[in-house]
Amino acid sequence: MPQKVSLFVPCFVDQLLPEVAVDTVKVLRRIGYTVEFPEDQTCCGQPAFNTGYWNEARPCAEHFVRVFKNAEVVVCPSGSCATMVRNFYPELLASSSLRGDAIGVAGRTFELSEFLVKVAAVYDVGASFPHRVTYHASCHGLRELHLREEPLQLLRAVRGLTLIEMARFDECCGFGGTFATKFADISAAMGNSKADSIGTTGAEFVTAIDPSCLMHMQGILGKRQAPARTIHLASILAQERP
Amino acid sequence: MSQTAAQRFLQDAAEKSADLVHREIIRHRMESYDAAHLKGRTRIQDWEAAREKCQKIKREAIDHLDHYLLQFEEKIIARGGHVFWAANGEEACEYVGNLATQRGVRTVVKSKSMVTEEIHLSPALEKAGIKVWETDFGEFIVQLRNEAPYHIVTPAMHLNRGQIAALFREKLGQEIESDNPAYLMAAARRKLRQAFFAAEMGISGANFLVADAGVIAISTNEGNGRLCTSVPRIHVVVTGIEKVIPRLEDLAVLWPVLATSGTGQGITTYSTLIGGPRRPGEADGPEEFHVVLVDNGRSRLLADDEQREVLHCIRCGACLNICPVFRHVGGHTYGTTYPGPIGSVLTPHLNGIKEFKHLSYASSLCGACTSVCPVKIDLHHHLLQNRRNATEAGATKPSERLMFGAWRRAMLHPWIYAAGGWSMRKALRILYGLGLAGSILDPMRVWNRYRSPAPLPSKSFRARWRRDLGSN
Amino acid sequence: MAQTENVQTGTAKVDNPSRGRILERIRGGLRTVALKPAQMRSNRVIFATIQNPLERFRQECVANLMECTLTADSAASTCHFAKVLQSLPEGDIFAQDDPSLRRLLEPAAPGRAIRWSSQGAPPEASQATVTLAEAFIAQTGSILVTAACGGRGASVIAPCHIVYGTTSQLVADLATALSHLSQQRTLESNSFACVISGSSRTADIEKILVQGAHGPRRLSVILQTAT
Repeated sequence: MPQKVSLFVPCFVDQLLPEVAVDTVKVLRRIGYTVEFPEDQTCCGQPAFNTGYWNEARPCAEHFVRVFKNAEVVVCPSGSCATMVRNFYPELLASSSLRGDAIGVAGRTFELSEFLVKVAAVYDVGASFPHRVTYHASCHGLRELHLREEPLQLLRAVRGLTLIEMARFDECCGFGGTFATKFADISAAMGNSKADSIGTTGAEFVTAIDPSCLMHMQGILGKRQAPARTIHLASILAQERP
Repeated sequence: MSQTAAQRFLQDAAEKSADLVHREIIRHRMESYDAAHLKGRTRIQDWEAAREKCQKIKREAIDHLDHYLLQFEEKIIARGGHVFWAANGEEACEYVGNLATQRGVRTVVKSKSMVTEEIHLSPALEKAGIKVWETDFGEFIVQLRNEAPYHIVTPAMHLNRGQIAALFREKLGQEIESDNPAYLMAAARRKLRQAFFAAEMGISGANFLVADAGVIAISTNEGNGRLCTSVPRIHVVVTGIEKVIPRLEDLAVLWPVLATSGTGQGITTYSTLIGGPRRPGEADGPEEFHVVLVDNGRSRLLADDEQREVLHCIRCGACLNICPVFRHVGGHTYGTTYPGPIGSVLTPHLNGIKEFKHLSYASSLCGACTSVCPVKIDLHHHLLQNRRNATEAGATKPSERLMFGAWRRAMLHPWIYAAGGWSMRKALRILYGLGLAGSILDPMRVWNRYRSPAPLPSKSFRARWRRDLGSN
Repeated sequence: MAQTENVQTGTAKVDNPSRGRILERIRGGLRTVALKPAQMRSNRVIFATIQNPLERFRQECVANLMECTLTADSAASTCHFAKVLQSLPEGDIFAQDDPSLRRLLEPAAPGRAIRWSSQGAPPEASQATVTLAEAFIAQTGSILVTAACGGRGASVIAPCHIVYGTTSQLVADLATALSHLSQQRTLESNSFACVISGSSRTADIEKILVQGAHGPRRLSVILQTAT
């Protein structure tokens, strides 16, 4: 059982949503892990990869592999970024000299809730969050990493948290990377349908394992001046019991 | 001024995305489908095993396409049927048109076939002075409205009963006293019955071409396909070459899976098998039987070993139903014969990547389509491959190529990335502080059109780590 | 076996040069092997075994909006035929020309003209058609008819289709029915077969189910206990 984890912080979390990473560190330390943050990391390459620019994504991925190749285990508070490394690095770097290392790193990279439940074997991280919360099942975590139960298991162990199921909880929120600006009208329409579902639950918070979904949903909710707010799973789990 | 398909798509998508009435109609229809589909799934003990079996069957068929097509052709010809291989839509339309003209056909009744939409057969026949009646109820409705089918299984799902009643009042020359669906169906039945019995030629598609038995299989609910293939003296089947399956027994799993995915039924009401014209001693049936095998780009797709499996599609429509993009923009917005995820993947191969690549980007790659496809086509990854193919073919915007070139350089050098990120946040904070969010100076203005601005923290995570988080 | 590049259509031969070209393109395309092999986890049962086919058939008939009446003998069957026919509007009926139907139908339809399939296609205005079936399929509540069951139109032309058979014709599932079709080479001696699982229907308006579209609104099965 590794006691040290290497933290993989998605680029936009590093720049725009740092508290998600701060809270991830809090949670990991609370359950007894040492956290290291390799400062040479930049981006996993997903934005270029998803837009079809594989030749630009490839060197970026190689850089990532060099940074993390000696890590015992890599933890990332983002389903889509963990998916990029785990599911797509082997294909993207199939012809690279770093292919072997890439496969190795991919096999040791986990999304946060996946790490907590499946590697650390912990549901209860000592969190308390006495609020009404609804869960959005981010697409990559659900369909690429097959994480259906893990985030819910963690949420159910949070003291005082009331979990309310939303209709069509597994329907895409509409972010989709560059889709959000290339097809802004459709992205917003999907986001507003999601906001309708959130509103119907009466929840104070909507949570997910993907900060990109949450950033998009917060933008939509904010524009509508909706009462609900977004919060990343890590930030809920970081709320300590007194 | 003519628009590109991409421009038209963006315009239609913008309009439909804002149309809350349309959104509510589609949501309601899809909820009916979802409920029926879930119920239908309970009739299959092991759904995942069923999907794998169907994938295996289609894989075998496509991987030996020439062998099975030849087997099928031989049996049809032995029974007195005709098989014509059409390289493209024009050849197919020419064959059917010439046949109709030579046989003195004045009226055609048609059951639903997406391939005939793809090749624009009806307009070709009408140009030759032949009246074509769409007999599938949904197709009949959109034909009267002079619009394309909205969905490959339920062509008129975007309309409500009031609209259909008004349409019938205007076009059918009958008294329409009610908008009750059963009443409207009865009105259509009265009108189309005359056509069934007057038509000299019936045209159908085929859901499957069964190689070992040498028969076509057609699945319908209404009975219109049955009448089209029983009453007129000539029956013409227009089908894609990829519809082949190896054995009759394969239908034992394909029929229930097609019905479950398409409508939630255990099996479609009329699962018909036809192998040729009427035989001596049979009470009725067409005297002539023609099968037109249409290529139209399919053999080219076959050569793409990454995307060959796209030919496994059984046209059930499940991917359209679950797709959140489809649910928000609707079937007409795509502007293609095949909408939804399968349409976005397939159309560039049939109609050209340059004109239709935008469809592969009009997706959040959520993967819901892949998760429901009954033949396990990896749809959303094929969309991603299409994006890669478009980039490699140099078919993307120069400004975007420049942007990703710069992005790549930044990401390879942590200090450029960090400095760039810091500058961006700083600049945006200043800009927004001046109240210029959403203005022409705001690089995030597209994002900010529909969303309140994203947060702009003064310190990145790495700055905080370096300052006070580093010690465990 | 070499195929000529022509298609015969009546008196004129139609050239079909594309046939060879398409086959060539297919063969060329298949020279590379597709990337992902299909996996099949073996020994997984897709459809649950049907313990009681008759019971299952009756349940499925209800779900399919079909009538299914079990009769003990020919007298009861004739009686039920009479009952169904009496409930229909005036008009002729069309029936598959088979000795068993001749025996059962004639006493059941006084005052109705019966047009037999040996005389040709069913008239458009028929009030009902009566046929036998090749088989009854429990899994989906289906009847399997072929061209020998009175032709193609017999199971779709009239507003009411009545099917007569015996419980010995009941098979458990689609797989069995299709396997029989293959083994008996039914499709060599019949240009047409159809698995019918209910009355005609549509949900094209607002996804609301309407029973009775272009085919029969009513499908009635008379299943006589086999001796």
